[in-house]
Amino acid sequence: MKFNLAFAIETLPVILSALWTTIWVTIASCAGAAILGFLLEITRRSGRVMSYVMRFAIDFVRSTPLLVQLYFLYFVLPFYGITLPAFVVGIMGLSIYYSGYLAEVFKAGIDGIPNGQFEAAQSLGLKRFDIVMFVIAPQMLRNIAAPMGNYFVSILKATPYLAVIAVPEMLGEAMEVASDTFRYAEPMLTVGVVFLVLAVTVAHLVRLMEVRLLKSARR
Amino acid sequence: MSFVDILIGIFDGFGVTASVTLWGMAYAVPFALIFGILQHFTTGPARVAVTSIIEFWRSSPVIVLLFVFYYSLPTVGITLSGITVAAMALGLNIGGYGSQAVRAALQSLDPGQVEAGKALGLRRLQILVLIELPQAFKAMTPTFINQFIQLIKGTALVSLITLSDMTFRAKEISQLQYDPVRTYTALLVAYFIVCYPATIFGRWVEKRVAVKGRSQGEI
Repeated sequence: MKFNLAFAIETLPVILSALWTTIWVTIASCAGAAILGFLLEITRRSGRVMSYVMRFAIDFVRSTPLLVQLYFLYFVLPFYGITLPAFVVGIMGLSIYYSGYLAEVFKAGIDGIPNGQFEAAQSLGLKRFDIVMFVIAPQMLRNIAAPMGNYFVSILKATPYLAVIAVPEMLGEAMEVASDTFRYAEPMLTVGVVFLVLAVTVAHLVRLMEVRLLKSARR
Repeated sequence: MSFVDILIGIFDGFGVTASVTLWGMAYAVPFALIFGILQHFTTGPARVAVTSIIEFWRSSPVIVLLFVFYYSLPTVGITLSGITVAAMALGLNIGGYGSQAVRAALQSLDPGQVEAGKALGLRRLQILVLIELPQAFKAMTPTFINQFIQLIKGTALVSLITLSDMTFRAKEISQLQYDPVRTYTALLVAYFIVCYPATIFGRWVEKRVAVKGRSQGEI
């Protein structure tokens, strides 16, 4: 079969119709991964036993493929009577996988805060929760903006994995077109171009935000 | 089938996982070195060209890259084996990330090193090979090991283009036995067994490189 450019362009609107799915799945997964990663890191710091348990959990998540984690959630949960919509499983999978990486980012961010900050907060009589929320977190966010932004771009680039568990994001939509028409090359190429443009644009925006954040920090 | 039997069945696919990983490295390492060095040396339009090639491989989602090349190459008359296409797509994606480690490592060297080489009358290429690369190598090793782990995990994708790697074997076993809980748990464990030693090794190297770097700075 020869490559048909006209058909490739024809598939563009169909694929773009799934752009919003890709975007909101990305945003939900970024939020999930950040919250879960922060909880993992805070738990890791809460005691000796927990530090070993959490360290192992983080290493396990980081040492297994995202695809396999998605299969695990998708095929194993229903076996225990938990049937969730595919996109919920997908967001869970992306959140869990990237929480392992973000926990390390949070670790570096917290380690970068001088000890005097903890001590000053304690001497002012703040409770542990208040110390974390109002003293540590704001300073940490500035330290970790750059690596966290990079992981958010990675999450965007990982959303096409969800096509394998039938989430109708852009790659899923392209595969649908392909299996309907028996033409695979054109929709794949189109979805490739769309993802490339999207990823480069978002990466650029993230870099601009970093620069602004660093400027405001230097004030 | 017991858990151990399933695990042994999954490791039947280890050969494919390993050969895609190794062939992938055969693409990734030369690409990372050549393009990292080129990006370090070029300026103006040449640099834009080099950066665009790197960005293409780095910014496209790896699953999309794999599908684009697997389905598009035959339409332009190029037929390659599944392993070759997978090694190329996965390898060059990882190579794109690796090139940034090479460039960053070269840029982080003290300019005095190059000047000293020039003062000794060495040619630019000699300075690169004899002075810059050996020093940069240390800084980029931890990133290379991390990318190697990413590549192993990425090979799970080849199950989607019908290569019988560990993930593919697990899917077969799951269909035959209808025991997704044990099968996918075993698959997670299998990847953990393969990747975790590399994670530990990477951490050890990182620590060594960091400590050595500091002591050199102190002198």
